[in-house]
Amino acid sequence: MSRGWLLQRERGSRFALRLITWIALHLGRASARILLYPICIYFLTFAGRARRASRQYLQRVLGCRANIMHVGHHFHSFAATILDRVFLLTDRYGQFDVCIHGAESILQRVQRKQGCLLLGAHLGSFEIMRTLGIDEAGLPISVLMYEDNAAKTIEIAKALNPELANTVIPIGGVDSLLLVKEKLDQGQLVGLLGDRTLAHDKIVYCSFLGERAVFPAGPMLLAAAVKAPVFLCFGLYRGGNRYEVHCELFAERVDIPRAGSGQELQHWVQRYAERLEHYCRVAPYNWFNFYDFWAAAP
Amino acid sequence: MPEANHLEGEVARLIVETLNLDIDPTGIDPQAPLFREGLGLDSIDALELALALSQRYGFKLRADDPNNTRIFSSLRALTEYVRVNRAK
Repeated sequence: MSRGWLLQRERGSRFALRLITWIALHLGRASARILLYPICIYFLTFAGRARRASRQYLQRVLGCRANIMHVGHHFHSFAATILDRVFLLTDRYGQFDVCIHGAESILQRVQRKQGCLLLGAHLGSFEIMRTLGIDEAGLPISVLMYEDNAAKTIEIAKALNPELANTVIPIGGVDSLLLVKEKLDQGQLVGLLGDRTLAHDKIVYCSFLGERAVFPAGPMLLAAAVKAPVFLCFGLYRGGNRYEVHCELFAERVDIPRAGSGQELQHWVQRYAERLEHYCRVAPYNWFNFYDFWAAAP
Repeated sequence: MPEANHLEGEVARLIVETLNLDIDPTGIDPQAPLFREGLGLDSIDALELALALSQRYGFKLRADDPNNTRIFSSLRALTEYVRVNRAK
């Protein structure tokens, strides 16, 4: 089931997350990174489902048989970005080497007070995007997300940076998208991720890395409803302390007529899937959907 | 209350037209939930509906209004909100 990510319990106890957060903040990034190895070995041993999903994905993207070393690399890359979130959430950007591509256009629009949607994926680190605005006293950005799902992670994020937690717009309320529209009208940026589906979501089948996969229709329908420009944004982790942020204009306007045949919707979501595929090939170990992404829709 | 019924019919037509629903506006049960159950609308429908209502009746639905869930609970509740808040 492609919605398997919801069913997959957040692994790692509250204690483990707190411990690594404490070590990161008190002993520093280098010490905390040593812990990533035993953590990865633990997950390689006990997280069978994630291991199989990783191997399946890597075989598609690399085009060769993925072995345990590939999967280990994949897990390590995921764990490293989770750890770095501690530093990013506490505004310790200094220790990262971030190379930014294509953000000028977004910054110009922010100066003109033109609200934009920033569409990402569970590819790399979304938090690194906050470094985009550090010279400008912070970008006015909110993030639309399913708050219940990653409750534990969010709880820690809130403890680290309560102000940031206020910029989360929880999905699901009858008025949550009205809030998105208000933020955009005020010239702010709203980020969301376009790759995971939830039960009851409208879905679209797209060709992705050689096979049909299910994508949510929601992000494109939202873009059409708010009539705001859409930028794609991916914060790719490149090993060590290096990140690469890639931003590109996806569309000035996503036009999906209500009375249409569904072709326009299909077109836009497929285009998103194609760009996502491109960035998966650029940075294969950044794909952080550890469930069978190509499973048939429920 | 012919005027209230008239407005209810008008709001029902606006819902059907805005969301391009394949139903007869007069067939909407005014007391039934609009979202999830009932008409089965979702959050994008809610946004589009809110924008269309604002444009048609000249008020602004605000995301921080604590009554939003109630306002959108049924056709009747929505019509009542329009009746009280309309500016045109």
